[in-house]
Amino acid sequence: MTEARSISEADLHAYADGFLNDADRARVERFLAENPDAAELVADWQAQNDELRSAFAGYEQSKPTDIQLISGAHQRPAARQPRRAALAAAAVVIFALGAIGGHYGPLLFKRPDIQLAYTEILPREARNAFLVYASEVRHPVEVFANEEAHLATWLGKRLSIANLKVPNLQTMGFKLVGGRLLPVAGKPGAMFMYEDQAGQRVTVMVGRNKENRTTSFRFASASNVETFYWIDGELGYAVTGEISRDLLQKIAEECYRQFPS
Amino acid sequence: MKARETQAPAPLSFEAQILALLPQLRRYSRSLTRSDVEGEDLLQDCVEKALVSRSQWRGANFKSWAYRIMTNLHLNARRSVARRPSVGIEEAENVAMSAVSDDPLEKSRLVKALETLPKEARAVLMLVVVEGHSYQEVADMLDVPIGTVMSRLSRARQALREKMREENVIPMRRPR
Repeated sequence: MTEARSISEADLHAYADGFLNDADRARVERFLAENPDAAELVADWQAQNDELRSAFAGYEQSKPTDIQLISGAHQRPAARQPRRAALAAAAVVIFALGAIGGHYGPLLFKRPDIQLAYTEILPREARNAFLVYASEVRHPVEVFANEEAHLATWLGKRLSIANLKVPNLQTMGFKLVGGRLLPVAGKPGAMFMYEDQAGQRVTVMVGRNKENRTTSFRFASASNVETFYWIDGELGYAVTGEISRDLLQKIAEECYRQFPS
Repeated sequence: MKARETQAPAPLSFEAQILALLPQLRRYSRSLTRSDVEGEDLLQDCVEKALVSRSQWRGANFKSWAYRIMTNLHLNARRSVARRPSVGIEEAENVAMSAVSDDPLEKSRLVKALETLPKEARAVLMLVVVEGHSYQEVADMLDVPIGTVMSRLSRARQALREKMREENVIPMRRPR
């Protein structure tokens, strides 16, 4: 708003594609700094760009048969030799990028005013909360497991969930560390943290949104951190951890079973 | 040592220009198509067409001219009977794929998602992202307004995000 000229969607594309001059680039960067949703979108496009470039980079090469192609002397089908070395190299890059590439939700805006859906915000915030709190040694939670009943009443009240039960993940080898209040999409939300015997942590986040619509399980992953999330009625849930997707899915299903429907 | 001033290289012959551009055209043709085989076919068609139409080249910007030929060939190919007699393009989708594929592109979910894009949107995305052409260059190449280029680019990016997201869905089970 304060910027002299507003930023159009075309500006964002041009920024992602590196076509802007210094002044315009700075203008877009100021806009992105104040608009995290747009910043995420642009980052997502850039990740797509990187993955596409590296996917096809290996094809930019000459072949011994190119001369025949030019002289019209080739025959169809021309001999095709797999370029294994180049392809294998590309495979490594693609594999690495595949983990990072576009896993955020759909583009919701037609015009520049960008609004992300709850299903896009939820996994991102769950991941951020995991990264921030799971690495805390002494203060990972506000209320520890020894006050589980209080934790449940307190967070249940803030989230307007009657009889909120803290999921029990003992059968999966994870015991409750505790929980905390935290904002989820700008509203009070709850996070529970669990830990297995090896000290590996997972977090379970719950948030409420009136506009929510029930979804299936979805997952998002970035840099080894996996998140399963789903929406059930007005409540959104996200289970995050740096563990195998299979195990995390089992935990998510267990939470889904235990949370009130 | 007296040849210091004769810097301007002799203009490349038509064939030499194609030859020099072939690696990039090969990358572009593959990025438009589903497989290495289809990519090479499109490349060959493009070279043939360029050689036949050499009189239409006005002597400026050879690269754009060649890219335009390839793009048009690809966009205009209306499910023409596949040259490979074994399997047509439509059937190819139903052919069982071996579990272990040699093709690294098959490992990229994003590249697979490209198959769901309209041809025009995919071509714009590739011309911009992989081939590095400016929006205006693409507009000139395709003979469409720049606004059309932008909307196709936007559509392509949106569709890819949606597709990637769809694939991240697992049906719920609430075991009781």
